[in-house]
Amino acid sequence: MASDDRVIVEFDQHSKEYRETYPAQAHELREQCPVAWSSKHDGFWVVTGHDVLSAISKRTDLLSNDHDPAGERNGYQGISIPERGTTRGGFIEMDPPEQSEYRRILNPFLSPAAVQVWNPLIADFTRACIDDVIETGRLDFVDDFANVVPAVLTMAMLGLPLADWEIYCEPAHMQVYTAPDSPHWDRMIESTMRMHARLADSVQLRKREPRPGMITALLNAKVMDEFLPDEGIIGTVTLLIGGGFDTTTSLLAGALDWLDAHPDERPRLVDDSRYLDLATEEFLRHFTPAQGGGRTITQDCDVAGFEFSAGDRMFLSYAMCNHDPASFPNPDEIVLDRFPNPHAAFGLGVHRCIGSNLARLDFKYMLREALRRMPDYRIEHAGKEKYESIGTINGYKHLPATFTPGRREGPTLAEVMVDWQARLDAEPAPENLRAEEGAR
Amino acid sequence: MARAVVNSELCQGHTLCNFAAPDIFHLRDEDGHAYVVVDELTADQLPLARQAELGCPERAITVEE
Repeated sequence: MASDDRVIVEFDQHSKEYRETYPAQAHELREQCPVAWSSKHDGFWVVTGHDVLSAISKRTDLLSNDHDPAGERNGYQGISIPERGTTRGGFIEMDPPEQSEYRRILNPFLSPAAVQVWNPLIADFTRACIDDVIETGRLDFVDDFANVVPAVLTMAMLGLPLADWEIYCEPAHMQVYTAPDSPHWDRMIESTMRMHARLADSVQLRKREPRPGMITALLNAKVMDEFLPDEGIIGTVTLLIGGGFDTTTSLLAGALDWLDAHPDERPRLVDDSRYLDLATEEFLRHFTPAQGGGRTITQDCDVAGFEFSAGDRMFLSYAMCNHDPASFPNPDEIVLDRFPNPHAAFGLGVHRCIGSNLARLDFKYMLREALRRMPDYRIEHAGKEKYESIGTINGYKHLPATFTPGRREGPTLAEVMVDWQARLDAEPAPENLRAEEGAR
Repeated sequence: MARAVVNSELCQGHTLCNFAAPDIFHLRDEDGHAYVVVDELTADQLPLARQAELGCPERAITVEE
């Protein structure tokens, strides 16, 4: 297709319409063209066809994730459409080989084998969150449960104080749910910048006081004999907080909301781990917490029969591709044992979600425990609130529920927090290769 | 003779092949990328390998007969 033959649409993933009709707009768009040109946000391609996504997402020679707000390299706008923030968002806003180096350093913390060490922490915090509400018969699945465990786990893996999860909670969620036309946009940017500044201080602190975890690993790593730049490390820590806080949370809320209307499915998810494994992939496919990624085309090119120009922006809609009937029969229906299910919820290509193994582990444990201990919960739909924009993350601000009260099984969340902090503090400090800089 | 092949250029560590056929596909400790541990697929393994092939998000697996 010549570029002047492009199919022009007015698609905005941050719009109220997209949120309220999700995933219906996927079909409307795809039927017009699996790669259409949206006139919104200064113009961008929107990919809604799963085959085209598969073909293009591996073309790192043609697509760039780079974010260069200072205009030092190419002026590219990174992975958010419209552009967001005045700093680069860690390695997801880098291209290989730079991006690969960060992942090489972090993979040993996030591989399927490595994440297993966190099972006891996930179990203790999940139990405590439920215990703190179990006698009342009422909770908010977001505020009291899904927000807490993934966030504390992220703090532990970074090597930051566990209790600090609460400081990052609001800014981490706000940065993903605020729509570009929201009256709260400026407040969101301010709160994001404050979070960034605080994390910058934490990175400096780890130069003086190294702790086991991903921050010290990034500080100690050398690429071509050089330490990584502070900006790259701080951006990466901010990215890991965003990814760690908001995605598993959103998946849990989506699944618990859906299971409100499908109570018959609950016992099997508790008892049959194979069924839970399959259901997890299906919830990932249907809700697609991280809805997609922005890219910049690096050269004039032709992919899968479509012509693109250097500098064009493109939104890879993992969510809409996950509802392509050519790859997923009856795509809008949640079929818990759907198989095969080659969904793109974690992205495709070299930017595949680095936390996918941790997300699955945490999600499965938390969902099973919620269903085991609150088997008859009902969502209070009047208090349910979805994100203003689901275009970045398809999540919920609030999801209140009631259930038949039960008995505690252990200590409180506050007690577990103190106990786990002490356990982590007792781990020996790693070698500090940045001591000299930290002393300055 | 049937065999399964993982294209290591395409594999990104989604781990779904290991989930479909854990006796055929193992995951590297360092990054979760898959590799094949059997030279030849038995008649029982062949359908499982086919499922892994269909379920791979990166289309990185081929089963050759």
